Amino acid sequence: MAGLVRVGFSLTRNAIFSTSIRSIATTAQLNLKAIREQTEGSTLIIDGVTVPSPRTELLIRAEPPVQDTALSTSEKPPCYMCALGLDVKHTDVLILSQFVRTDGCMLPRRITGLCRRQQKKMGKLVAMAQKAGLMMNLTPANCKKDPTKRRDYKKFNTYFDERTIFMKKIPKPVDRFKR
Amino acid sequence: MSAAKRVQQWATFARTWHIFDCKWQDPYDSANVIKKYLMGLHKPIYHPMNDSGDVVVCINSKEIALRGDEWRKRAYFHHTGYPGGASWTLAWELHNKDPTLIIKKAVYRSMKGNLQRRHTMQRLFIYPGEEVPHDVMQNVTNQIRQLRFVPTRLDHIPEEVTKTYPKVMDFPEDYVLK
Ligand SMILES: [Zn+2]
Repeated sequence: MAGLVRVGFSLTRNAIFSTSIRSIATTAQLNLKAIREQTEGSTLIIDGVTVPSPRTELLIRAEPPVQDTALSTSEKPPCYMCALGLDVKHTDVLILSQFVRTDGCMLPRRITGLCRRQQKKMGKLVAMAQKAGLMMNLTPANCKKDPTKRRDYKKFNTYFDERTIFMKKIPKPVDRFKR
Repeated sequence: MSAAKRVQQWATFARTWHIFDCKWQDPYDSANVIKKYLMGLHKPIYHPMNDSGDVVVCINSKEIALRGDEWRKRAYFHHTGYPGGASWTLAWELHNKDPTLIIKKAVYRSMKGNLQRRHTMQRLFIYPGEEVPHDVMQNVTNQIRQLRFVPTRLDHIPEEVTKTYPKVMDFPEDYVLK
């Protein structure tokens, strides 16, 4: 009974407050915003300012493929990272820093717009870069950002193998000098 | 023997001193390269019975990089010879004790265990930092190419480069910048 009540309640709440209803507005609501804080005397003014995206001009996208009617109807188009086909390594911090908030946390998939596999890959690559100490200014505050200030095995230089990202079971390191 | 031939003879049999920067290099991969120069395998006159090996100076051995979780997974075995004298030292513990030992052991293990190995190891100099004694450094004439490229930290890249670098991700329309 309680479950039924909860389901009914959530249905009515979604009907009233859902984003699809809220997005119908007479004014331009959906724009990129930046939050500015100003102090004038003793009053603090916080306002959301509509800003143009700083990235739109520098954006790189793969050229759209030749339209094949049979394929395009059955298959979804690939996401922009799959279409670009870049071989991103964990040392490519200039690319990886674009998927990260200013506090160093990974952006969710509804904002990055990646497919599931690419989102997983980028998240792991960002974690690798942060563990290797390559993105020290973009690392969550609860971590030791500088590897030299970490303890034990974490304080030495570490590099990662990108092939291990989608391995079900990472094999044990082999003895490379075994005879 | 003409003068030119004599110089060619000297140049062929002289020991060359190579320098190798271990910064962000995998010691086990670079050991295979260092070994070739130490034993003289890179020379066409190589023969196990002739003394054609070169000298290799390794610098920055403190800043070697190990792959993945190898710092805490790789163990170095030692036995004192007494009962119960076995000990396993993890790679990070060994590197704490002596930052030159991992690269030394890697080169040692990459070579075949014969009578020559100890003498070949005498031609390997390892320094934890960039400071090399002058009498060693003045002999160096060649640099061995690094195997892995040294990564650049994001906070070392200038602000303009970060801003003008081509972008792949753009924010959606209803995103609040953070
Ligand atoms: Zn994709």
